[in-house]
Amino acid sequence: MPSKELIGRVLSTGSATVGAEHVTEFARALGDPNPLYIDAAAARRGPFGTLVAPPTYPIAFMTQAMAGGMDTFLELGLNFMTLVHGEQEFEYARPIRAGETLTLTGRIADIYEKSGSSGTLDFVVLETEARDAEGALVFFSRNTLISRRT
Amino acid sequence: MTLTLDPRTVAPGTELPPVVKGPVDRDMLKAYAAASGDPNPMHTDDEFARNAGYPGVFAHGMLAMGWLGQLLVAAGGVGSVRKFRTRFAKITWPGETITCRGRVTAVHDADGERLVDCDIWTENEKGERKLVGSAVLAFPRR
Repeated sequence: MPSKELIGRVLSTGSATVGAEHVTEFARALGDPNPLYIDAAAARRGPFGTLVAPPTYPIAFMTQAMAGGMDTFLELGLNFMTLVHGEQEFEYARPIRAGETLTLTGRIADIYEKSGSSGTLDFVVLETEARDAEGALVFFSRNTLISRRT
Repeated sequence: MTLTLDPRTVAPGTELPPVVKGPVDRDMLKAYAAASGDPNPMHTDDEFARNAGYPGVFAHGMLAMGWLGQLLVAAGGVGSVRKFRTRFAKITWPGETITCRGRVTAVHDADGERLVDCDIWTENEKGERKLVGSAVLAFPRR
């Protein structure tokens, strides 16, 4: 069972440049035809002057950009066989632009448990913020993972 | 792209034009696994999913959330989405056709913007809700 002492611990950090091809591949995998995601010429003429990313792209960017944290993640002691993504929340200051470099910091925001008819569920809340080269917040992500004790 | 929501006339009860996806198939799941960098075989390997007690592979929750993102941006435009949250209530299975829907719950003006709160969800052909959540869209006030 996850120890509440891990609340507040920085889990993972990273910095990466948003790749135009990655943004486009991600939009295509969603079947989203918005030209601002997939048509570089149209995006150049558009309001942002470059390709921008769909709202859920941060999940792919975080996977790509963030390193480390596996030791802490294992320290949580979650049951990986029953681990599911329970909730996801994003806040955005502006769209993510292809070609910009973002710096990410992810931390363990909360750990709690709930008991129900199927047993005890462990909840771990991970929060990640992304800042641009000027240090301005671009997006915030809150990811709730749930695992059932067996 | 033309917006599907008019910020001048939007009001509680206004429905976002639905976005329909599917039928969900394994190629969609493989493409999403590759693009998102999610290595979990639960979504791409039927045998692995059966060993874990499921009837087979199922869609990534974040794939379906991405479809809801398309619904929101079609309604409000790129850059309009301020907050976006979903709970993954039920599993999305291959073979299902998923409709993404949204309904405005409140409209308020603040700091030169019109903020539109929405309930959002995905549902299958039987009307079973899979993802349920909410979003805030922001429009410049003119």
